[in-house]
Amino acid sequence: MDAFIKDLIAYWPQILAGLKNTALLMVIMSVTGLSGGIGIFYLTLSKHKIVRTWTEAYISFFIGTPLLVHLFLLYYGLPELGISLSSLTVAVVGFTLNVSAYNARYLTTAYNGLDKTELEAARAQGFTQTETFRLIILPQVLRLSVPSLTNQVIQNLKDTSVAFLIQFPDFFAQMQEIASVNFQFFKVYMTAGLVYLALVSIIVLAARRLEKHVALPGFQT
Amino acid sequence: MALIEVKNLVKTFDGKAVLQGINLELSEGQSKVLMGASGCGKSTLLRCLNLLLSPSSGQIIFKGEDITRPKVDIRKIREDIGFVFQDFALYRHLTVEENATLGLRKLKKMKMKEAVEKATYELERVGMFEHRNKYPAQLSGGQKQRAAIVRALAMDPAVLFLDEPTSSLDPQMSREVVNVINKLFLDNITMLCVTHDAFLAKYISDTIVFIDEGVVVAEDIAERLFYESADPRIKQFFMSVIDHR
Repeated sequence: MDAFIKDLIAYWPQILAGLKNTALLMVIMSVTGLSGGIGIFYLTLSKHKIVRTWTEAYISFFIGTPLLVHLFLLYYGLPELGISLSSLTVAVVGFTLNVSAYNARYLTTAYNGLDKTELEAARAQGFTQTETFRLIILPQVLRLSVPSLTNQVIQNLKDTSVAFLIQFPDFFAQMQEIASVNFQFFKVYMTAGLVYLALVSIIVLAARRLEKHVALPGFQT
Repeated sequence: MALIEVKNLVKTFDGKAVLQGINLELSEGQSKVLMGASGCGKSTLLRCLNLLLSPSSGQIIFKGEDITRPKVDIRKIREDIGFVFQDFALYRHLTVEENATLGLRKLKKMKMKEAVEKATYELERVGMFEHRNKYPAQLSGGQKQRAAIVRALAMDPAVLFLDEPTSSLDPQMSREVVNVINKLFLDNITMLCVTHDAFLAKYISDTIVFIDEGVVVAEDIAERLFYESADPRIKQFFMSVIDHR
């Protein structure tokens, strides 16, 4: 048997644990990132200018700076202020802050394409701003944003691979370890690439099903 | 007692007075049409009456209550005023029936079954029952406007406001909507309608209120206002509107 295959079998428990961590991180940050994105998007519609200004500053900061900077700030920077967090906590918090900003931007873009007379109709009917957001705006912008949000989930999966830089034992960290032992860098990283591709394909298939499920006449997504 | 009483209503935008002291009364079961040249303040008046726009000064008495005073429950007032928009403004992620039941379920806290029964009554009334499961994108303009009327009527409002209900429609669809509104008129639904459509105005009004430069210039029945007014502004306006038909 090829030595490389032997190594994969030998390291299988670690690889599996890494895959579980990768999946866990991706699922958590996709859920928290979407929730955070919705919350930030809601704040962008605030009546108060100061809230809108701060929200815009938040989005600009997290979209305009590298993800790795956020992770390093939290993991290596915060201990200087006496706050030490585990690598999982840093990964979840760091990714959530970053992904929320991107998701808020996607939802805002979809919102800009909405027919605003619907919002006036909701006000005229007696709905509050929060009810209008929950019942009229959100169901529409989420539908319109399915392709962008799906791309973000794919990006989330791929971005988990930088978490090993803050000592998070994800799938890529395990593959890195194998490579550092057997020195078969090409085979190891090619295998890692193919695994990511397989996972992305699963997400794409799920997203297509979701798109069909939420499709409505008049909604071009 | 009038259902709506407007006293000396003023609305200014950036210092420019669009409404310059409107006085108007609407009694229960009465239907009035607001007419006048574009920019005279008709739609602004309608939006002030359900507080989509805040009046700059003056009073609006609705069901005996001054709704321009601070801390008024705007939500309750709006629930009692149906509003039909020029561009339909249907919630496009909801079916016709869901558009009609949303307010009943979420604002009036009705059970789904009860809300659907109420919506069904209104859908049948305007001939939209067979389209109840369609989404707005699947409807013609006339059907959309009838669905918007259903949504407003389902809430059992004390008064129905219609803002240019036929101006986005071609003549055939417009006729379809005029027939529906005429039926409501014959059912004594209290209505206040803004329109440029003389045909609609004639068939759905007890009286027509003519507004010019933010003030009520005249109020009379359609025939007299269309053909017998001595006021040159009114004559000129109706000559152009009626000639266009």
